[in-house]
Amino acid sequence: MTESTASQDIYLPMPATIEESKLLTAVDRFFRIRLSSGAELGHMPGQFVEVSVAGIGEAPISLSSSPDTTGVFELVVRKIGRVTDALHALPQGSPVGIRGPFGTTFPVAEALKGQDILVITGGIGLVPVRSAIQYMLNRREDYGEMAILYGTRTPADRLFTDEIEDWRARENVTYLETVDRGDEGWTGNVGVITTLLPKVEVSPVSTRVIICGPPIMYKFVIAALAARGIPLEHIYVSLERRMKCGVGKCGHCQINGYYTCLDGPVFNYAQLSDVPEAI
Amino acid sequence: MPIVKYITTDQLLVWVNALIAAQTVYGVQAKEQRFAYDALADAADLRLDFDVTILPPKKFFQPLVETIMKFHVDGHYESVTSEEPFIIFGVHPYDVVAIAQMDEVFRANYADTHYLSRRERATIVACDIQNASPSMFAACMGTATVEDGFDILLTKIGDGYVVDVRTAKGEALLVALGDAPDADAGTLARREQFWDDARRFLNKYLLKCKPTDLPALLEDQYEHAIWEHNAGLCYSCGSCNMVCPTCYCFDVQDEVDWTLEKGTRVRKWDSCMLRDFATVAGGHNFRRRREERYRHRFYRKGQYLWQRMGQIACVGCGRCTTACTAKIANPVELYNTLMEG
Amino acid sequence: MSKPRVAIFDFACCEGCQLQIVNMEEELLDLLTHIEPVEWREAMSESSERYDIAIIEGSITRQQDEERLKLIRSRAKVLIALGACATLGGVNKLANGFDDLNEVKKCVYGDAARMPHLLTGQVKAVSEVVPVDYSVHGCPINAEEFGYVIRCLLRGTTPVIPNFPVCVDCKMRESTCRFEYGEICLGPITRAGCGAPCPAAGMWCFGCRGYVDEPNINGARDVMERYRKTVDDLKSRMALFNTGQEQPHA
Ligand SMILES: Cc1cc2nc3c(=O)[nH]c(=O)nc-3n(C[C@H](O)[C@H](O)[C@H](O)COP(=O)(O)OP(=O)(O)OC[C@H]3O[C@@H](n4cnc5c(N)ncnc54)[C@H](O)[C@@H]3O)c2cc1C
Ligand code: SF4
Ligand code: SF4
Ligand code: SF4
Ligand code: SF4
Ligand code: SF4
Ligand code: FES
Repeated sequence: MTESTASQDIYLPMPATIEESKLLTAVDRFFRIRLSSGAELGHMPGQFVEVSVAGIGEAPISLSSSPDTTGVFELVVRKIGRVTDALHALPQGSPVGIRGPFGTTFPVAEALKGQDILVITGGIGLVPVRSAIQYMLNRREDYGEMAILYGTRTPADRLFTDEIEDWRARENVTYLETVDRGDEGWTGNVGVITTLLPKVEVSPVSTRVIICGPPIMYKFVIAALAARGIPLEHIYVSLERRMKCGVGKCGHCQINGYYTCLDGPVFNYAQLSDVPEAI
Repeated sequence: MPIVKYITTDQLLVWVNALIAAQTVYGVQAKEQRFAYDALADAADLRLDFDVTILPPKKFFQPLVETIMKFHVDGHYESVTSEEPFIIFGVHPYDVVAIAQMDEVFRANYADTHYLSRRERATIVACDIQNASPSMFAACMGTATVEDGFDILLTKIGDGYVVDVRTAKGEALLVALGDAPDADAGTLARREQFWDDARRFLNKYLLKCKPTDLPALLEDQYEHAIWEHNAGLCYSCGSCNMVCPTCYCFDVQDEVDWTLEKGTRVRKWDSCMLRDFATVAGGHNFRRRREERYRHRFYRKGQYLWQRMGQIACVGCGRCTTACTAKIANPVELYNTLMEG
Repeated sequence: MSKPRVAIFDFACCEGCQLQIVNMEEELLDLLTHIEPVEWREAMSESSERYDIAIIEGSITRQQDEERLKLIRSRAKVLIALGACATLGGVNKLANGFDDLNEVKKCVYGDAARMPHLLTGQVKAVSEVVPVDYSVHGCPINAEEFGYVIRCLLRGTTPVIPNFPVCVDCKMRESTCRFEYGEICLGPITRAGCGAPCPAAGMWCFGCRGYVDEPNINGARDVMERYRKTVDDLKSRMALFNTGQEQPHA
């Protein structure tokens, strides 16, 4: 986490440039961004940045690239409101402001090392998880078995389709996906994400789970995992809340006593089991 | 050696006027039937006999609407912080405690230069409570008197004031006071007695437990019927948060001027009781029901902030009780109800 | 980019909101550097059938007005309802609260009530006739907020209009609450954004900006008991601007 001294303004964005911007789906846009200072952002998987469009505002967006991608970092933004609309409308080469990185990380360099990894993700939840997946694939020998389960509403909502093919092709990764509703060309699984769970091996001892998806997904997935004996402390979830500051001041992101921006967005689920507002 | 002077009321007026001539002085003044802090033009307007101000002195450190930066749409941002020194005259002990708590909030983890810059430039002249406000319970909360957190403390004893100077900033104000005698032992003994009484009697409501028992009390009360019952009356109007000296939530918005290219980023006071406080784009509201918001505030005050920083986020000023038009915001009544089970 | 063409149309109202715009003085000149006014009876005489932004002032009271409004909507890319008459039906809507409209007309216009231009039907807010993109609330509007909304439009973004009660603004202004004077005030259920000028001037809020989303109307009824007031006291306050909106159940 970045240390700040009293002379630094924690709300002041760093100037940066959109180097590349392209649509991934009808509403999700990929951005490759470079800080004007030439410095590395210095994040770890799971963290987020506050992205500013001057005159419109700021929005928290997850880092989607792994720290191994240097010089630039990648974001995926869903068009859904004022700031995200404005980001979509910005041409390549446009300036944006960046604060961060903020928040907790998936413990890829600590607790997950040497363990079997199960990633369960839905919709735009793949965005932060991709950073962790890339990080772990770059160090594949540091982890045991690895499985990725991905669910979207329709085939057209799938993100990073090229990268997915690479995961699917890997011998040392189990990649499974499903859609809620198929279309003519779809030959894969149809059904909610929990229908994929019985297809993977899990171990109450060695499996560590990463979950990130829409709010309704968590309850069902966690119940299914618990039924298979996975202890709560082996589950990591990434949560989303309204944010206005990213640094533990504005109060918007509270989940009972936690601040999502400081104590999250990645939580060990054992922390949240008696936190009623969490899931 | 601490400096403890005794001055007459007349001397106080002369002193305050001398300070006004030299720098910005905010002081408690009458406003309609109530009191409010505002810039002092004349010492005669200062009302140290006030019971409570509508808004807490927090507004000087975290202004209601505050420009935190300027920007140009070409991507240039420039921080805006206030450098102006000022004095606040007439801060009651409970508000002194609240300010210390806010200092910690804005310093913790990531230091907030906007708040801290204002805070560092402020000289706080505290004042012991001469009149209790209609809903206060400062004695219950241990905030009826204070030991530190101010630069000068004024205590009305007899026809004059004991001026207790604790910091270099406080001493700097004494220059304008000129010659004044040290407070004698008899006066100081009367002040001790005054404090003793304050700590025992400055309550209009009685909390039936120690404030430090609140976190444990709230442990099992999440599903208590009182939340839903009271929230049926709640307007989600945010008044209870707006007037609270230990609330600090804010919203941030960008505004462009008529060039459509330049503008400012401003933060404004916000409130967790308001309907859309936890609503995200697309419409999902993480605290959709009134009772969820209503409960959140009391948990914040009585437990959550305790867990984060070991302090109860209520200083017993009673402002929320007075401000709530539905008459459901009184922390004492609420916590006492929970204690009944 | 060519300047957007803006037309202002007035229906049944006092035109006080337009007056607020005319009174923007220097800001008005700023505004005019960004837009091209094409139809604005109060400030100019030229009229046009081509415009990007239509600003509607006033409530809709007659069949021919509904037709005119629908035509305007079909021509405009963006339609803004300006002021309480347009956003709520405004004071004009009081008429709907009376069983016999003719009584109202006679009372207001005396014998002239039978004149054809006064043949009014049910009073409607603009949004009851055509879709509204943006609302500038208030009676009259707050010129600052109007400027903000226009600047947001010019920047291609949505304005952020408060969706919380007037009490927030009122507390910020440190007014003594009207309830402390034993009065009923509609602030707790009315949309903020005006800066709460009425309580600051010693008046209760009469709700000219309309309700917040999900106003606690029934809570308000129960709260009245705590002040020894009745639901009728509350209703009489609400009638001025909120006739036709949700009412407390007795
Ligand atoms: C830790 C975290 C990571 C996120 N990562 C991504 C991501 O990688 N890609 C992506 O598309 N979206 C992500 N989101 C959601 C994204 O922040 C919101 O969609 C975005 O803030 C909407 O802003 P807006 O101005 O377009 O919408 P508006 O509805 O106009 O919202 C106004 C303001 O409210 C706040 N706000 C609204 N919705 C949210 C929200 N869901 N979360 C937090 N603040 C919100 C923001 O300050 C926002 O600017 C993330 C959210 C969080 C908390
Ligand atoms: S909760 Fe109420 S009594 Fe406690 S500090 Fe805040 S305003 Fe004062
Ligand atoms: S009580 Fe609510 S408004 Fe006050 S500081 Fe806590 S979360 Fe913020
Ligand atoms: S508790 Fe009272 S002051 Fe607070 S939001 Fe509800 S009605 Fe308003
Ligand atoms: S005067 Fe009206 S708007 Fe102001 S706080 Fe009281 S009820 Fe709310
Ligand atoms: S205080 Fe109420 S009546 Fe007055 S301008 Fe605001 S909304 Fe309208
Ligand atoms: S985003 Fe402001 S406190 Fe977490």
